[in-house]
Amino acid sequence: MKPEVQKTFKVAVTLCLVCSVVVSALAVGLKGIQEEQKERFRQQSILEAAGLWEDGEDPSELYAALINPVVVDLQTKSATQRYEAGDKKLELESLLRNPEMFDEMTQEQDVAGIAKREAYTTIYEVREGNKKTGTLKTVVLPIRGRGLWSTLYGFIALDMTAATDGSAGLKVAGLTYYKHGETPGLGGEVDNQLWKDKWPGKLIFDDSWNVKVEVAKNANSDYQVDALSGATLTSNGVSNMLKFWLGEDGFGPYLESVVADGPTPGPDADSPAAPESAGEPAESSTDA
Amino acid sequence: MAEPTPKQVLTDPLVNNNPIALQILGLCSALAVTVKLETSLVMAIAVTLVTGCSSAAISLIRTEIPSSIRIICQMTIIASLVIMVDQILQAFAPGLSRQLSVFVGLIITNCIVMGRAEAFAMKNGPAMSFLDGIGNGLGYGLILLLVGFFRELFGSGKLFGINVLTPATEGGFYPQNGLMLIAPSAFFLIGLIIWVIRTIKPEQVEAE
Repeated sequence: MKPEVQKTFKVAVTLCLVCSVVVSALAVGLKGIQEEQKERFRQQSILEAAGLWEDGEDPSELYAALINPVVVDLQTKSATQRYEAGDKKLELESLLRNPEMFDEMTQEQDVAGIAKREAYTTIYEVREGNKKTGTLKTVVLPIRGRGLWSTLYGFIALDMTAATDGSAGLKVAGLTYYKHGETPGLGGEVDNQLWKDKWPGKLIFDDSWNVKVEVAKNANSDYQVDALSGATLTSNGVSNMLKFWLGEDGFGPYLESVVADGPTPGPDADSPAAPESAGEPAESSTDA
Repeated sequence: MAEPTPKQVLTDPLVNNNPIALQILGLCSALAVTVKLETSLVMAIAVTLVTGCSSAAISLIRTEIPSSIRIICQMTIIASLVIMVDQILQAFAPGLSRQLSVFVGLIITNCIVMGRAEAFAMKNGPAMSFLDGIGNGLGYGLILLLVGFFRELFGSGKLFGINVLTPATEGGFYPQNGLMLIAPSAFFLIGLIIWVIRTIKPEQVEAE
């Protein structure tokens, strides 16, 4: 090999090594702070979806003051006390790694394109007056699904105040996404405030809990929201994930039971954990 | 041409040889991030730092870089610096980082950074190259801030998010100019700025 060629290789390899070491050191060093910021932004998205966010507030404080997280068992479609909200085991990544903690969706079920649906998830309640025992006002549900390039992660908030009218009374209170990789300017416009402002007030279900809300071209009914121009696949993705998460395999049956119970005050927060979790170590979560 | 002094290297790109106004480089990001002064300022600082540091780093190893792979070497250094800026922004200014979205990452493709590396840093010492990079970054930033100033003032009636001309939507007297919020307005503004500069300095006008 000619000496010049050798030198070229030497310089290229050295430069790459030095640059990668510097970049990775910085990335690892800043990871903790970045994760914290992401969590704050997730909390901000929950508040935004519920219509409680104001610029300049501290998301963590506001979240702690107003939001009541509730763990829902998506297999039995009911609230569960087996896990505390905020349990590390309930983080989506760890749930989806443990085969006992998620259900595979069949192709017909999986309209959102997520393949696996976690067995437990956390939803966020906003109650009138007392945070834990007041009258239920808004429920914020985590949703996710495929867009064009990426899985979109977000929240949809449902206005429960008109729940006495049955399923047809439920309205969207807000929709936000906190993580996605769609094309900025096209699919990325799901973050656009003007588009998000179109959601509040939209109707969701017909009289018998069929999901009707959707993103459509030339939206002309109370169930439809205008599609994003130039982003058909992302718009379809949003429709599909709403259909899935509000439907039979998502939160539909849970919402049904909440509405059937009427706008009663929440469970007494001071009572000890429900019997099913008493004395049962968390490892025994395999009876699913 | 006489050897330029450090002061010339630093201040020349501000008006006399402005990267946007004279060389018409880096327009894409100048259109995209200037809706608000805050994002313009952050972008200006980011580009200035990247241009300065990359020019210095490239100049430092310019005798070692084999000419056959010099562009890719420059890109590696620039890309590393841009990733660092992006990571720091994500950690300490996540809101701004989301607003700037892809445009921080796209500093890599900003012609100004590459241009200075290739045209200046490969031929001059690290100190001068650093100054040259900073100067060009400031020249870019100057235009960004000017455009951002007008767009935010007339588009939203605000400066740095504080109401100056209270907009009509918030009960004030000023009807916002929607044109200023969309990208083409930056073209008009940059065009006007170039016109003003070339009226004052006719030597910048290209020969017909």
